[in-house]
Amino acid sequence: MKSLLRLNINGEPVELAAHPHWSLLEVLRYELGLTGSKQGCDKGDCGACTVLIDGKPKLACCTLAATVGDAQVTTIEGLADSDGPDPVQRAFDVTGALQCGFCQPGMILSAKALLRDHPEPSDAQIREALAGNLCRCTGYTKIFDAVRLAASQDRQVPIAYGEPAEGFIVLGSRGRKADSIGKATGEALYTDDLSLPRMAHGKILRSPHAHARILGVDTSKAAALPGVFAVMTGQDVPIPYCVIPWTPDETALCTDRVRYIGDGVAAVAAADEDTANAALDLIQVDYEVLPAAIEPAQALAPDAPILHELDWKGRPRKDNICKTVELEFGPVDDKLAQSVAVAEGTWHYEGSTHGPIEPHAALATWSQDGQLTIWSATQVPHYLHRELARVLELPQAKIRVIQPALGGAFGGKSEPFDLEFCAAVLARKAGRPVKFLYTREEVFYSHRGRHPMTMHFKVGCDTEGRVLAVDSDITIDGGAYHSFGMITTYYSGQLLTGPIDFQSYRFRSSRVYTNKPCCGPKRGHGSVQPRFAFEGALDEAAEQLGMDPIQIRRVNAIESGQETVNGQLIPSTGLLACLDSVERGSGWKERWGKLPLGRGLGVATSMYISGTAYPVYPNEMPQSGVQLQADRSGKITVFCGASDIGQGSDGMLAYIVAEETGVPPDDIVVVSSDTDLCPVDLGAYSSRVTFMCGTAAQEAARKLRTRIVDAVALHWQVPDAQVGVALGFVYDKDDRGRQLDIREALILAESRFGTLGATGGYRTRAVGAKYRGGTIGASPAYSTTAHVAEVAVDPETGVVRVEKVWAAHDCGRALNPQLVEGQIEGSVYMGYAEAIMEAHTFRTDGLHTGPNLLDYRMPTSAECPEFFASIIESLDPGGPYGAKEAGEGPLHPIIPAIANAIWDAVGVRVRRMPFTPERVLAAMKERS
Amino acid sequence: MLRLPPFVVLQPETPEQAVAAWHPEAVYMAGGTDLLPNLKHGLGAPKQLISLNRLPRGGILIEAEQLVVCASTTLSELAQSKLVRGLAPPLARAASLVASPQIRNAGTLGGNILLDTRCLFYNQTAFWRRALGHCLKAEGDWCHVIGGPKTCVAAQSSDTVPVLLGLDASVELLGASGARVLALRDLFRFNGMDHLKLEPGELLTRVFIPRPAPGFRGTYEKLRVRDSIDFPQLGLAISGTWEGTTPKTLDIVVGAAGPIPKPIGKLEAFCGQELTDEGIEAIAELVRKGTRPNEAIHGDPAWRRQMSAVMTRRALTALRDA
Ligand SMILES: Cc1cc2nc3c(=O)[nH]c(=O)nc-3n(C[C@H](O)[C@H](O)[C@H](O)COP(=O)(O)OP(=O)(O)OC[C@H]3O[C@@H](n4cnc5c(N)ncnc54)[C@H](O)[C@@H]3O)c2cc1C
Ligand code: SF4
Ligand code: FES
Ligand code: FES
Repeated sequence: MKSLLRLNINGEPVELAAHPHWSLLEVLRYELGLTGSKQGCDKGDCGACTVLIDGKPKLACCTLAATVGDAQVTTIEGLADSDGPDPVQRAFDVTGALQCGFCQPGMILSAKALLRDHPEPSDAQIREALAGNLCRCTGYTKIFDAVRLAASQDRQVPIAYGEPAEGFIVLGSRGRKADSIGKATGEALYTDDLSLPRMAHGKILRSPHAHARILGVDTSKAAALPGVFAVMTGQDVPIPYCVIPWTPDETALCTDRVRYIGDGVAAVAAADEDTANAALDLIQVDYEVLPAAIEPAQALAPDAPILHELDWKGRPRKDNICKTVELEFGPVDDKLAQSVAVAEGTWHYEGSTHGPIEPHAALATWSQDGQLTIWSATQVPHYLHRELARVLELPQAKIRVIQPALGGAFGGKSEPFDLEFCAAVLARKAGRPVKFLYTREEVFYSHRGRHPMTMHFKVGCDTEGRVLAVDSDITIDGGAYHSFGMITTYYSGQLLTGPIDFQSYRFRSSRVYTNKPCCGPKRGHGSVQPRFAFEGALDEAAEQLGMDPIQIRRVNAIESGQETVNGQLIPSTGLLACLDSVERGSGWKERWGKLPLGRGLGVATSMYISGTAYPVYPNEMPQSGVQLQADRSGKITVFCGASDIGQGSDGMLAYIVAEETGVPPDDIVVVSSDTDLCPVDLGAYSSRVTFMCGTAAQEAARKLRTRIVDAVALHWQVPDAQVGVALGFVYDKDDRGRQLDIREALILAESRFGTLGATGGYRTRAVGAKYRGGTIGASPAYSTTAHVAEVAVDPETGVVRVEKVWAAHDCGRALNPQLVEGQIEGSVYMGYAEAIMEAHTFRTDGLHTGPNLLDYRMPTSAECPEFFASIIESLDPGGPYGAKEAGEGPLHPIIPAIANAIWDAVGVRVRRMPFTPERVLAAMKERS
Repeated sequence: MLRLPPFVVLQPETPEQAVAAWHPEAVYMAGGTDLLPNLKHGLGAPKQLISLNRLPRGGILIEAEQLVVCASTTLSELAQSKLVRGLAPPLARAASLVASPQIRNAGTLGGNILLDTRCLFYNQTAFWRRALGHCLKAEGDWCHVIGGPKTCVAAQSSDTVPVLLGLDASVELLGASGARVLALRDLFRFNGMDHLKLEPGELLTRVFIPRPAPGFRGTYEKLRVRDSIDFPQLGLAISGTWEGTTPKTLDIVVGAAGPIPKPIGKLEAFCGQELTDEGIEAIAELVRKGTRPNEAIHGDPAWRRQMSAVMTRRALTALRDA
């Protein structure tokens, strides 16, 4: 029964009727509309829900609202006052400490409490104070910067943009992110922060069996429960789908068979979550339990149970092989025979998941005229749009997909999920809006994370260290469904051929279905695992040759304009500069191979695509479109389908438009990822956004600039070429004193040309090789990266501590160096985490070993290494202003760099991830 | 979100009222940082929750040569207390190593002493446990750790308890029939399902720690993957009185290796003489022999066992040479 609850929140008394078993977090978020307090685990593991209670940071999810009593509660909304945001909030904003922003309300409140008690905190105190707030985006580096800045400044931390790069008016400056003050103040709305009148809450019933036939589902009792509005099963959504349109092999809910523990079977919408859960308990499912294939070896055995009886063309399947790719370039066997150094072995990657702090959520509603609107925590609104249309059998024109602020994704939100379909179907059945929010456990089951791979590699080199041949055989554990499977399979081989040039190459990769949650694209899709194997093998070859590991990489560096062995053109590469940078930064020459036992340095390199040349469905239309609207107000609105998932693409669009038009970034509004309002962009995956949307924005903005310049030139009666554009004004190049405010210029343009607008698009240029599969992995541009990791390995415990990482990344032109550094630091963090502690593992019965953020450990600020990011700018001829990708490439080298550093420290080669103390000790024991 | 079971919340103002309010379907809640996550996992469904947050807060004081700590003292207060840091530094250290800053601001010493045992097969959602097959400790009849139907070996996972045992602490318990004082070492029993020898409804009110003798040196070492948030994979509490490099008394307690903290016996033989490297090595071996971690919590048991020796050697060496 509800009772009267009195609280003091942000200095004001509030009264409400509440259930005694409600947590403070749910009261704040859902009863009081204080949605700035976030939820990432709901049980104490992540810190996203941190609030101050009588000034002390505490977890709102582990506090009962009923017991707060007279205490003063401060939420993120309570920090700002009439002078605007708190200095700590401003500091987080200007230092680029916010990426997705989801962890930040909690983080900022922890920082606030620290600075109150310790106005000049040491670095150790900062790390300690924030060690209960997980951040998945930043690698904490910029957060530490923010706290230091907040400690040093008075109320008004300046909101400045810094100096642009030479020859630019905006680009190259360390600008704020477009939306970050909103995230720092709790104003930004994420999907679960939204609610609609009469909204119902949805829940999904999941399979407790790894493999079973569904004999029957009886939902009658659930449907009869008071408070339940609608119930659905797989029969309501029988049309299979997949993010790759020609490989549909999953349905929104299972129809006849479940394929992993956690597979969805039925769903309900009810008045509240408690009722929805009670309804799930009343659904009766009859299963016929089938033998399960948990590991690829079981799935490949001759008598293995077959997971999918039919393939996506409806033909019977004889095995569990989802996709096999075999490609050979050049005389591999001959070249191996010629090699003087051959490194050979088997490497294992155990699997990891994205772990965005925001769990998936979706909210759907229908209008009376049959229009569906769905807000979803997705990073690919366009693909969701297409698959919703397919499964719901609706024209796309009847569906609107909106992506609100997104609390981290990393590839984990790049395809449709059951909750989006279920929200749509249940909302239609119930005749009211329906919202779904995954529990953290469901996020683990939905997964689509990095594939476990077993990789056999042979790398042969000549006496100079030139790589003559690479031969690999890779088994990929795909989990229950296809996801991006065929692309993953190609990527595991196709993306390895730079920045180290091979003379010959053969790979055989096979993705296998198993009865586990489906794997998919995680930051560095398909290529992080083989990079670990290859860069380890290369180090071993260098060792055999007595070569310096950096030198062997220099010798093999691919050059700008060169083609890789598998036929991809590399327009630009900055590998040598990257290697120079990390060599210098780490003191490599003086220290590598010379440090005392237990300390080591390791190097590794990588290359990554800036978008794929071809979309997942072939078409002739632009991959990305941008539309601009400008008027006499002096403001420009940028419409683009792109998804800002924390990486800062909204800001990037604003900077480019500002650069071209002279309208300051603060006067540019970006409207993104709304399929009704924005031109199509394919989404935030494969590191395509800056390259493609950036090009589209540049084209549109140049058209608008021409209008502005024309109008002013006519007004001044000078040639167009004489009108210059600067930040906030236009000027006469021959008479610098003659200037016009940019707003005046827009008025002139609108007066002269009528309503102002412009469009731009990015179209794929034909790239890639002619052979089958030769376009997969083909990209208009490639980034390159080199890392050096410094580790301390305790020879007695086996514990590996990564202390420092120097990461040099060639992203072409850094449009905003602060955001690029953030991407580098975040990538290194994520790879470090995979190398040292994260393991997405399953029991032999297919049950996840610990689907929560306490058992699946993500590094905290306390043990996170120090990152030194450096930006190398080898300008790409195809990218906007020469820009390339920065979001995924910098993840790749860290894992092999750590492995190679462990070798330098204690003389063992670790080939199985993560590098746990047990494994390192076992390897040391084996060697001695 | 994760759901709590429906319950009524009582907020008594005195310990006596709290005890009077107790009945078999009620449960006490101090900071709630152990209880609420467990309830959200469907581990227990009390009808009444008796919150201890309005009880008078007695703080930390010295009384009759004892350090007296009120059960409601938060772990942050304990970690920062000048008194505790001065008199019983390992206790302050252990408290500072619990969970995360936010949890230490809410979690209490009482709750840390009485926290439930932990197990990877138990501290999971109701769905997960159903998929696995329920275990002895909740709704089932089989232990997944030892593979048998009788014993639960879920781990006592408190960071402060091993230290308090080494310090010979005792606890004051208030029950329906009055208060009693119990040596902490008599509080625990070897049964992960029911590891506390509390009478039903007994309230932990105060913790008494004899003032450590002059020459006291001790420490607490915690094995864990991350430097924050994680429960111990192994806890090692060492306390003793020293004269230079000679221990006069020496106590070692290992935590998180089973349902009860494990005191390591036979250490008198090393007391009263200079502690040599060989002596330390021998003690480390005793600890290793006495430590039998199981798979109820994270980390390979054999490795954790080996670590008990490494941690002992390092900690003892540091204490001796301090
Ligand atoms: C993410 C996470 C990490 C954690 N890590 C650690 C860790 O590293 N080390 C560690 O030791 N703990 C850890 N904990 C557990 C917990 O936070 C601490 O043990 C804390 O000290 C518990 O105190 P509390 O006051 O919150 O207890 P509560 O949750 O309020 O109570 C715990 C139990 O004790 C009983 N109880 C509490 N006070 C009394 C009393 N006065 N009389 C009688 N019964 C009482 C309650 O009924 C309950 O059964 C962690 C918890 C979380 C969520
Ligand atoms: S030790 Fe055994 S009985 Fe106890 S909680 Fe774990 S699995 Fe259950
Ligand atoms: S939501 Fe409260 S700690 Fe994660
Ligand atoms: S910015 Fe910290 S989780 Fe995204």
